[in-house]
Amino acid sequence: MKEIVVISGKGGTGKTSITASFAVLAGDDVVVADCDVDAADMHILLQPENIKSEDFYSGELAVIDEDACIQCGKCFDVCRFDAVEVINDVHTINELSCEGCGYCARVCPTEAITNEPLNVGKWHVANTRFNQPFVHAKLGIGADNSGKLVAQVKNIAKETANKNNKPYVLVDGSPGVGCPVVSSLSGAHFVVLVTEPSVSGLHDLKRVYELVKKFRIKAGCIINKADINKDIASEILEFLKEEDIVHLSNLPYDETFTKAMTDCKTIVEIDDSKIKEAISESWEKIKEILN
Amino acid sequence: MKIVFTTEGTEWESKMDPRFGRAKYFMVFDEETKELIPLDNGDVEGEAHGAGPKAARKMAEAKVEVLITGNGPGGNASKVLEKLGTVSYIGAGDMTMKEAYEAYKNGELDKA
Repeated sequence: MKEIVVISGKGGTGKTSITASFAVLAGDDVVVADCDVDAADMHILLQPENIKSEDFYSGELAVIDEDACIQCGKCFDVCRFDAVEVINDVHTINELSCEGCGYCARVCPTEAITNEPLNVGKWHVANTRFNQPFVHAKLGIGADNSGKLVAQVKNIAKETANKNNKPYVLVDGSPGVGCPVVSSLSGAHFVVLVTEPSVSGLHDLKRVYELVKKFRIKAGCIINKADINKDIASEILEFLKEEDIVHLSNLPYDETFTKAMTDCKTIVEIDDSKIKEAISESWEKIKEILN
Repeated sequence: MKIVFTTEGTEWESKMDPRFGRAKYFMVFDEETKELIPLDNGDVEGEAHGAGPKAARKMAEAKVEVLITGNGPGGNASKVLEKLGTVSYIGAGDMTMKEAYEAYKNGELDKA
């Protein structure tokens, strides 16, 4: 089983649209995982039906037992996040401000405060409208993504792939360069970098590639909207050459992209587009490299 | 030489875990005494953030000289391992622990 992770560094480059297209092209050979859990939206394109859902816990939250609280104010004094609020002389925890550090529980003279695991969202095992296993998660408002949640989504996807003899796990990776994207990359066999020819597109590509390099994972790059700025597009090509990154394809700016999105379809479901051809070629190249 | 492997199980035939920070197990092998000691890394699996540096701390406690893994540690963990003088070998993610040890001895693994 080979794990392919699609990342972009910069948002809005078309990462999820391209990942969903790969999923369609892979057909029965793939388990899909959406690790972009902050703003998970691959489900809009793949319209999955959830088979199994479970709560996800990450971090802790202080809880005050009102009956045991003597309103002494010690928790209020020590909290560095201003998460203890006094409303009508009653001490309460502001759930959005609390970081779960546990200092308040430690100083409470009546042991009225306990730290409880924080429910931050749900993860689901589902079937896409193409009848492929799909693992995804949805975070609650104000909850933060973590390496732990990404690792969990990926683990379930890998188990599912092994159980059903699927040759590929396709991961829509997390954005940025932090802990969640480290967790997205860890264990991958191939990384697809999706970028666009803009100053920030190139800048973020370079940043995220530093991470990929650290993990020594073979990488390929798709330049989306390659024709909107030819100068930066050729700068990107130079960078790919220097770093020995496979140039998978250039996608032209094409309103098919937008049309597919407004129809809740993947790009490869729109016939006779140049983009469809280029994405199909990229997918074939990736398979060739992996096998 | 004390060598640590990132693995999914505790036998020589167990598959390697390509990950460092969130590896299931660290198997510490002492080449002199031939002793193989498992370190369960389950506690790190439950950490929301900072799995790499926490796992690196375990390497310090176990006093290992060589790390054999798949992708290699990330940025933060690498810094800790470098300070410890632990040498990391990568590219063993799809092997069993036994195969990884053979590959290491034959000089077939890359240094991170």
